[in-house]
Amino acid sequence: MNVPSEHLFFLSAGLFALGVLGFLVRRNVIVALMCVELMLNAANLAFLAASRSHSSPGALDLQGPVFSIFVITVAAAEAAVGLALVIALYRLKQSVETDSASEMKG
Amino acid sequence: MLFYLLSVIALLGGLGVVFSKSPMGSVLSLLLTFFALAVVYLLAGFAFMAAVQILVYAGAIMVLFLFVIMLLNLGGMGTRFELSAAPLSSSRAKLAAVVAAGIGLAGLIAAQRTSFPALPEGGAPERIDDIQQIAIALFGRYSLPFQAVSLLLLVTMVAVLVLAKRRGKESAQ
Amino acid sequence: MQDSLSQAWLWWIPLLPLVGSALCGALHLATLRARKSDPSAKGLSAFAPLVACAAMAGALALAVRGFVDLRALAPSARTLLSTSWEWITIGNPARPWFDVDVALVLDPLSSTLTLVITGVGLLIHIYAAGYMKGDAGYAKFFAYLNLFVFAMLILVLSSSLLGVFVGWEGVGLCSYLLIGFWYEKGWPAEAAQKAFVTNRVGDACFLIGSFLLLRLFGTLDLADIVMRMKADFRLDTIDAGTQLNLSLAALFLFGGCCGKSAQLPLFTWLPDAMAGPTPVSALIHAATMVTSGIYLIVRLNPLFASSPTVMTLISAVGVTTALIGGSTALVQRDIKKVLAYSTVSQLGYMFLGLGTGAFAAAVFHLVTHAFFKALLFLGAGSVIHGMHEEQDMHKMGGLRKHMPQTFATFLAGAAALSGLPLMSGFFSKDEILAHTFNSGGVYYAFWIVGVLTAAMTAYYTWRMVALTFFGSERFDHHHVHPHESPALMTVPLMVLALLSVLGGVLGLPPVFHVAHVLDGWLAPVVEPGKAILAMHHPHEHLSHTVEWVLLGLGSAVALAFAHTGFHAYTRGAERDLAIERGAPGVAGFLNEAWTIDSAYSRLVVMPLRLCAFTVRFVIDQLVIDGLVNGSATAVKNIAGRVRGMASGQLESYALWMGAGAALISLWWMWS
Repeated sequence: MNVPSEHLFFLSAGLFALGVLGFLVRRNVIVALMCVELMLNAANLAFLAASRSHSSPGALDLQGPVFSIFVITVAAAEAAVGLALVIALYRLKQSVETDSASEMKG
Repeated sequence: MLFYLLSVIALLGGLGVVFSKSPMGSVLSLLLTFFALAVVYLLAGFAFMAAVQILVYAGAIMVLFLFVIMLLNLGGMGTRFELSAAPLSSSRAKLAAVVAAGIGLAGLIAAQRTSFPALPEGGAPERIDDIQQIAIALFGRYSLPFQAVSLLLLVTMVAVLVLAKRRGKESAQ
Repeated sequence: MQDSLSQAWLWWIPLLPLVGSALCGALHLATLRARKSDPSAKGLSAFAPLVACAAMAGALALAVRGFVDLRALAPSARTLLSTSWEWITIGNPARPWFDVDVALVLDPLSSTLTLVITGVGLLIHIYAAGYMKGDAGYAKFFAYLNLFVFAMLILVLSSSLLGVFVGWEGVGLCSYLLIGFWYEKGWPAEAAQKAFVTNRVGDACFLIGSFLLLRLFGTLDLADIVMRMKADFRLDTIDAGTQLNLSLAALFLFGGCCGKSAQLPLFTWLPDAMAGPTPVSALIHAATMVTSGIYLIVRLNPLFASSPTVMTLISAVGVTTALIGGSTALVQRDIKKVLAYSTVSQLGYMFLGLGTGAFAAAVFHLVTHAFFKALLFLGAGSVIHGMHEEQDMHKMGGLRKHMPQTFATFLAGAAALSGLPLMSGFFSKDEILAHTFNSGGVYYAFWIVGVLTAAMTAYYTWRMVALTFFGSERFDHHHVHPHESPALMTVPLMVLALLSVLGGVLGLPPVFHVAHVLDGWLAPVVEPGKAILAMHHPHEHLSHTVEWVLLGLGSAVALAFAHTGFHAYTRGAERDLAIERGAPGVAGFLNEAWTIDSAYSRLVVMPLRLCAFTVRFVIDQLVIDGLVNGSATAVKNIAGRVRGMASGQLESYALWMGAGAALISLWWMWS
């Protein structure tokens, strides 16, 4: 594949922006969490693209894949905790809307 | 050219996540994006990462999301699961769009302004994520973060158990 | 010098009154507690005078013991020292830059003053036991009085200027407490405040003077300062800058003395201080506290002697104060006010003497004045007591038949004050005037004013006697029944009368061809100052002829004006009324002490009020309050707007966070 690295980063930026947008406009907590996953995927793509651009046939750069693995692990953990919180919130409020959790008002 | 097609599919999937009327639609769109990204990884020379992407994201995490949606019975198109009332016409939605566009723009500019080394003659290496090398890196140079992440997973397990467990007081409500 | 450990008993001289004060205070508290259940209960306060007088008697006995011990030593070695502990040490402990020990020192000067304080103090305590009987604060009064004696003894006995300052402030505090003893009447509280505030001015001067001395000598130890003055600061070797600093230090210390000893321009508090009970006036505002300025100057005599300008200033201030005080006393109707202005005037005499270098003479006058003025105050107190708290002499008259003992002792005091021949006041006043005359130059003018003041003194003293004890009985016979005071009050009067009459033997003039006792006794203390003065302008002793002439003149003036004053008022107070009618301006001017008080209100109080007014309305209310309220309002307004952000809604928090992240990353990209 002879695509320049910039284009991989462009895709990454676009996906990340979509994740941010979704996280900000969706009131459903589950969808918001999905948008977080989207953003994490965009970050993964950026890591891998950077790794690719720094690798040559003789000298492979493995930091990208390694960090991607870490990110995926953290993403899995985050999804697990986030969804557990969703269940707890639903139990408390019978709702998964972010509006329903507004007790933090100062 | 395959990359650009996949890019379009991934972005469409992202749009689907954001604008789908039901959570189920979001899940399916996200799944589409994940698959598209997995193929991109494969094309870029990350065969192992493509496998991990499919196994962990598409397999494990998405199943988790689906499971919760099913558990809470949110699969339908009930009113309370729609987008916020008049999503992009409210001032906050507009502001959110501006913010998201700003962040995306920042990423684009960053990518544009960074001078990457030119791809070597004959294209990028066919295979970058050599499993053996990754294993050596994970258990060698990155052993400390690796253990930290292992600990994180343990803590997560405990936390999820604590959070999801029904307490007597709450069940009484 | 003897082993200082063996002199630890010195501490008991001030400590006994302190213990007495504490015990009396406890008795007062016990009385207050008893009064809670029974408002008329006397409680244990009846024991207070016993405790207080016992403490005073103990202190007096120890003072006598100190005196006897000192007498046994050679004149140049007459110093008893009791160093207790290091108070402040700054710098390397082996060679400190500054250190002050807590130490008491008994030398001829402090011994003299200690004897006066404890002796006269004891008599006044005994008197007060009778005078204050029945007062609600009987025990409290003795607690304050004993505390005062403690502070006064610390002032006199301390070996360092810092210790003196502690005593100085202590007596100021006790003076404040005792002037305002009957604070529920209102005006005593104001008088106490006036005394305190006026004294603060002097105290500030005292502190500045101490700092200057510390800079000059690196120590505040009085003996060290005197020794360094003798050794290092010889007049023929010091440079002009040091001379100026010495003069400044002397000037500021004299300013402190002006406050405490009621000299011009700070004397106005003393007449008002008569608001306190009469024993207080006798002890604090006649015999002891007001003389602490004289003590300080004598103690540091070489410092003052080394600056002739300050010496002349001291004399000028003293003689002017004497004149103002004496002339004001001429027209006062309140018997205590007469004595108060008389005290101001006599203190002026002492400063006049100090300014001429007659340190021993000033101390001599201090001692005799302590005797006769305490006697006169106590006698006046006895009269006031017998007249049911009447102080206006125009409403007295003919009291000699009703209170013969008071009358007889009062006569002795009046004779001594007016300087009738062979009385104690005669010798001491004459000695000061002789020294003034002998100093020549501008001092001749001082001498003339001094003689004039002596004439006034004789006049107002006998006017007072005549108005009080002679003439028709002008009081209301139906309501006032004059009676002699109890023995508790008259016996101290008699002792003081004896001392007033015979006190002169302490310092007989040279023409009598007997030793001047006090002069010889104080010689080791005043010798350094005398030596410095002798370098300035060595003058000879007065010839015997001149001295006889001066003595004769003094006697003649005293007798003549005593006679005039007495006979002008034996028939009644018509002369006062005639003066008021004939020259109301002069009468008013004198009556208000040369209008110095009103000058103060015009020149000091009014501008200060104006300043305070400006500060209050412009600076405080407009600027400071404006700033404070303005910032509060601003914070409130801003907070009101920002508050909307903290809606508690997750989306808006996320939105703001995202906006921040976007801004930061964009900023990074563009910079």
